[in-house]
Amino acid sequence: MEIISTNALVKYFGTTPACDNMSIHVKEREIYGFLGLNGAGKTTLIRMILGMIKPDSGKIALFGQPLAPQFNQWNDIGYLVETPYAYPNLSVTENLKVYYKLRQLTNPALLEDIIEKLKLTKYKDKKAKVLSLGNQQRLGLAKALMHQPKLLILDEPINGLDPEGIVEVRELLKDLASKGATIFLSSHILAEISRIANRIGIIHEGKLVQELTTHELTDRLIKKLVVKTSYNTQAVQELLRAGYKAVLTVHDEIEITDHNAIANPEHLATLLVEKHLPPQQLYLFTEDLEMFFLRTIRTNKS
Amino acid sequence: MNQQIQALQVEFIKNKYSNILWVTFIAFGLAPVMGGVFILIVQDPEALTKAGGLATKAQAMHFEASWTSYFGVLTQAIGVGGVLVFGFVASWIFGREYSEGTAKDMLALPTSRTKILNAKFIVYGIWCLALALSNLLTALLIGAMLQLPSIASQVVLLLLTDYLITTLLTVLVGVPIAFFAIWGKGYLAPLGFVALTLVFAQIIAATGYGSYFPWSIPGLYSGAGGAYKEMLDNYSYAVLILTCITGYLATVIYWKTADQTK
Repeated sequence: MEIISTNALVKYFGTTPACDNMSIHVKEREIYGFLGLNGAGKTTLIRMILGMIKPDSGKIALFGQPLAPQFNQWNDIGYLVETPYAYPNLSVTENLKVYYKLRQLTNPALLEDIIEKLKLTKYKDKKAKVLSLGNQQRLGLAKALMHQPKLLILDEPINGLDPEGIVEVRELLKDLASKGATIFLSSHILAEISRIANRIGIIHEGKLVQELTTHELTDRLIKKLVVKTSYNTQAVQELLRAGYKAVLTVHDEIEITDHNAIANPEHLATLLVEKHLPPQQLYLFTEDLEMFFLRTIRTNKS
Repeated sequence: MNQQIQALQVEFIKNKYSNILWVTFIAFGLAPVMGGVFILIVQDPEALTKAGGLATKAQAMHFEASWTSYFGVLTQAIGVGGVLVFGFVASWIFGREYSEGTAKDMLALPTSRTKILNAKFIVYGIWCLALALSNLLTALLIGAMLQLPSIASQVVLLLLTDYLITTLLTVLVGVPIAFFAIWGKGYLAPLGFVALTLVFAQIIAATGYGSYFPWSIPGLYSGAGGAYKEMLDNYSYAVLILTCITGYLATVIYWKTADQTK
């Protein structure tokens, strides 16, 4: 079942396209990571999915139901859009109580549970205005998760969290997905997306420029062997003679991109030793998501 | 109905620790205190000669140490000062979500946006009525302490009716402020609108067309600046009610249909 489905969404702010013909399909139990530079249109898309911004054209369906004024599954959705703000003069518990009531919830244990799960017990009676940035983020997540939604829409959920908090949120999201929740999240922390998401969408200037699964991503990342010897020029010649596509870089390192070399680096090392050019360093370089992302949007630009 | 009650409870939770709540009561409470000072001045001929500006003001208003005069001050405070203070209350209730960044959290919930707005309008009404009641009780206390001469119950009823109707007119005329708070996404636009209405209310009333300018009507009804109540006719009240309804509908329609980017 498709939990989120957008069809040819278009939204212009004046003459600026915030969303240009965007079609996204998020399936049940999927963790869909959404990447884009600032101003790429991530938040506009999220706000459109949540019914806060009306598209100029195109359609949105959530849980197979068209997003219209009659849409009645808001309690199946939890969301966090941009910076999570709270009522500054209310305590953590009171802030959550606001949404508990507006969501018509009837189980008070949900409040205690989420406070405990997000490690806010120590701060539950503290006013939101004295919370650290990280704890404000936790409070924002608590608002989104309190009612155990089937779909979570999170815009930069780990902003402001310390490393421990990031790991906790990552585990929490994975746990929710394993229990059947669908998660749609945007982040500029690309490594984090690659750790959590099953599928990744890259958006640039309002357009979806790339959509791929984590496996496809792994295949598409550039991989190369980087080698350094005492006599790099001689080593390159030996490698070329042996059939490897070796190149000497401006950093005085040898880069080899052959699949064979990447799969069997020990053969290459043996060859160099036999030729009395033992490697001082030999490692497998894999492009990270950040580089892949930048390469993708630059390719799209050109 | 349950959704509406829950939304109302939420508004009470949100406002119970608001410093603005007490600021409005203190600011508005200055009116009965000032009235009390006037009574003290006119009751004591020696004080009257020493009070300077205040005495001149009291004399210009033909102020007497009586319940009728005192209620006149209170009613005028509602009709003129109320436009400002009630406007301040509306700006806070409807603009705070944008200024605090929590507006976006109100937009995709099982409780409809209209019910959330209705809860805000109810709180606005209750808050303004509480301000009026608070001034009334303070005035009764001060008047009793200053031993104002008692008056006939029919007169009391007339004074209270004037006070209540002026309050209701002022509350109604404040409804469109909600639209400016939501359209302007914060406090500034509605406060600017309140300032403009106050200025125009004075200018238009001075040109003689105040009876058809909604924001002049509560002041004219209250008797501020003279006995102008007779100038108001059914069209005057219709204009005011129409302004209120238009303000309410504009707020609801805008909140439900406009792009919410903040």
